[in-house]
Amino acid sequence: MPLDIQIQKNPTGENAAALTVTLIGSLDTVTAPDLERQLAPWLGGPVADIVFDLAQLKFISSAGLRVFSVTRKTLKERGGQASFLNLQPQIREVFDIIKALPGVAIFKDVAELDRYLAARQRSHREAT
Amino acid sequence: MKLELRATLEEVMRAVEALREFASAQGVPEKTTLGLALALEECAANIVNHAYQRSAQQRFQVLLERHDDSLLIELRDRGPEFDPTAVPPRDQRAIDQDGPGGWGIDLARRHVDEIRYRREAGENILRLHKRLVAPAGRA
Repeated sequence: MPLDIQIQKNPTGENAAALTVTLIGSLDTVTAPDLERQLAPWLGGPVADIVFDLAQLKFISSAGLRVFSVTRKTLKERGGQASFLNLQPQIREVFDIIKALPGVAIFKDVAELDRYLAARQRSHREAT
Repeated sequence: MKLELRATLEEVMRAVEALREFASAQGVPEKTTLGLALALEECAANIVNHAYQRSAQQRFQVLLERHDDSLLIELRDRGPEFDPTAVPPRDQRAIDQDGPGGWGIDLARRHVDEIRYRREAGENILRLHKRLVAPAGRA
């Protein structure tokens, strides 16, 4: 099963340092290096937050988890994080392994993520 | 069903596809099949990446067998002796130790009922057993 990777700069433009990555298909030992290659130029730039939409991800193995973990590590070092949305049940099970790692945030859907981001922005504004 | 595979990641996924078809033909539930596909991918990728260091002229075998109430996946390679069942479970290590290694065998363990390893005549032999629940209405 192939993997379709769609990368979009944050369409709302509120957070210019954010990317949305939609993954469709299978993130496995053959396709994980493709994702790594496609993320590399963005991670080399100023991107701090990446949202992975996994609504159409059917399969993930440790090779996929590894790409996610390396990504969240890079983002965390610049004060950002990797967020994951719409995990299907079979994906959620595998995610158990990395869900507690620092720099990983899991949201039920985009509405829950938006509430979180709004709260984060408020607390940031209050702090400055 | 017996597969002869070259030591490449594409061949790993070919074995996974064959397992999916085999399990589907055997009436194995989709959720169980996904777990078995994951277990096979992890174990076979270990062979390709570690035992054979992706040396494509090397070969390994995957055997798929349906028994009465279980499914057996057997992997055989001629790489250096390595017992993946001896790798300690992930939760025994520090949480920030998230480098490569360890996750794959953890995932395999979670999705099968038993993993047995033996070294015999220069071969690593890994057998994954999954019990199959009888469909509703059958004893």
